Amino acid sequence: MDRAILTSGLTKRYGHRTAVDRLSLQVRKGEIYGFLGLNGAGKTTTIRLLLGMIRPSEGSAWVFGVRVYPGALELWSRVGYLVETPGAYPELTVRENLEVFRRLRRVADPKAVERAIERLGLGPYADRRAVTLSLGNRQRLGLAKALLHDPDLLILDEPMNGLDPAGIVEIRALLQELVHQRGVTVFMSSHLLGEVARIATRIGVMHEGRLIQELGTEELVRRCRRWLVVDARDRRAARAILEAAGFSVDSGENGELVVTGDHAIACPDDVARLLLERNMCLTRLSVEQEDLESYFLRLIGVAPGGER
Amino acid sequence: MTGFTAAMWAEVLKTVRSKVPWLAALGISLAPLMGGVFMLILKDPAWARRFGLVSAKAQISAGAADWPTYFSLLAQAVAVGGLIVFALIAVWVFGREYTDRTVADLLALPTSRVVIVIAKFVVVTTLSTMLAALVYALGLVTGGVVGLPGWSLWLAACAAGRLMATAGLTVVLITPFAWAASAGRGYLPPVGAVFLVLFLSQVIAALGWGAYFPWSVPALYSGVAGSELQELSLGSCLLVMLTGVLGVAGTLTWWWLADQP
Repeated sequence: MDRAILTSGLTKRYGHRTAVDRLSLQVRKGEIYGFLGLNGAGKTTTIRLLLGMIRPSEGSAWVFGVRVYPGALELWSRVGYLVETPGAYPELTVRENLEVFRRLRRVADPKAVERAIERLGLGPYADRRAVTLSLGNRQRLGLAKALLHDPDLLILDEPMNGLDPAGIVEIRALLQELVHQRGVTVFMSSHLLGEVARIATRIGVMHEGRLIQELGTEELVRRCRRWLVVDARDRRAARAILEAAGFSVDSGENGELVVTGDHAIACPDDVARLLLERNMCLTRLSVEQEDLESYFLRLIGVAPGGER
Repeated sequence: MTGFTAAMWAEVLKTVRSKVPWLAALGISLAPLMGGVFMLILKDPAWARRFGLVSAKAQISAGAADWPTYFSLLAQAVAVGGLIVFALIAVWVFGREYTDRTVADLLALPTSRVVIVIAKFVVVTTLSTMLAALVYALGLVTGGVVGLPGWSLWLAACAAGRLMATAGLTVVLITPFAWAASAGRGYLPPVGAVFLVLFLSQVIAALGWGAYFPWSVPALYSGVAGSELQELSLGSCLLVMLTGVLGVAGTLTWWWLADQP
């Protein structure tokens, strides 16, 4: 059994609204699975279903081959999680908050708390009451709770929320280290496609409760559209030359020429040579790629401006 | 360390670190102190006349200035004031997990949700019992300072029994507020429920149906309806127990089965 997570027809309805619609996905052990979607796409509901916090209307979920239900105590000792904005007991210090969960998680080693504090860079705040923590440090405390018991599976809902750029890099490195050195499986949701693409090995895209695409990160990058941008002193003449040579040419936002087609993208030097042979003065020649956000919005049928 | 020990350790730490138990102790301490002031006024009417209406009101509600009356006042304070203070403690212990957004952290642990809920009830019961004991202890000191007549060791022991039994009945009756705090996901809905129930218990008791409304029973038992203390009928006792059992079962079921935030 190499699957850490398996769901089959997992559905959650609230009255007439379907939050998660017949979700069937598999996450292999040792994988970082990025779970993408807009706000309200059903990511957090899926995570709650995976953790037994809510009951499915239909279908079921298995984690490490165990069917998810609230009483799966053995299973929960192998899972660390962070759901939405992490909470903390405000009157307890960071260390005490972690100590509470060390005991509730039945971790015998008292040093686990210190290790978690060190791992998440919470040392300077260890004896501060949680109520005084910044949003970023609260997020770190939430992650420390998730990692306290060295879990085999991390289920993280928007783990980068509230972190500053240095914190994001640090947590990304930490997750990669856990996956590569300890074989931990990470299932993380996010609405930040660029962030997920940097770390995930596979990506699932949720939209309106449904998994509309699942692909490897390399495949995702490959599927993003590419084009060649050409600009010349005499744009009209350059366009005529390219079209006469069989290239497909459009105009860009600022009047530059946008050349599409595999040959133009693979061999921009051919395009350059063609134009130079006709005495065109080139001012720009570059292969550009659709950014991941644009691809994501195109995939779910939303225009960059927000229109469908 | 077993799951229950761990859950108890966590609940005790949260309680000790919070201001809520201290505020509750301060609030419920007003009962014996105010009772002592009434006794003082009743004991010395000439001095009390200088207090005008307060003196007249004390005459109406308290009767004589002696230990039996004072002990009865304390039991009534635990029945009525305890319903508010103990219920608010239950609301805090359960509702805080939703308000502090820590409930999600308690739902997928190797320690069962049932064990966590039971530990919370143990803390609520223990804290409420300690507060009732505090009322009694402060009452002894206050009554002694005022110099009330009619003291006997037997009376003090009987009064302790009556007061603690009243507190016990009240504690049993606050369990539905733990469910209300869980289902209401915070403080406001259960606090509203506490005051609604308190209002109803007074009205229903005044109409003479108090023996059939569980939250009126502790006050009736404490003697709030008259100078003579009432014995608990089996029906009333069963009604209180049934309410308590339903409160615990409802809270456990909610934590185990209901969709959580």
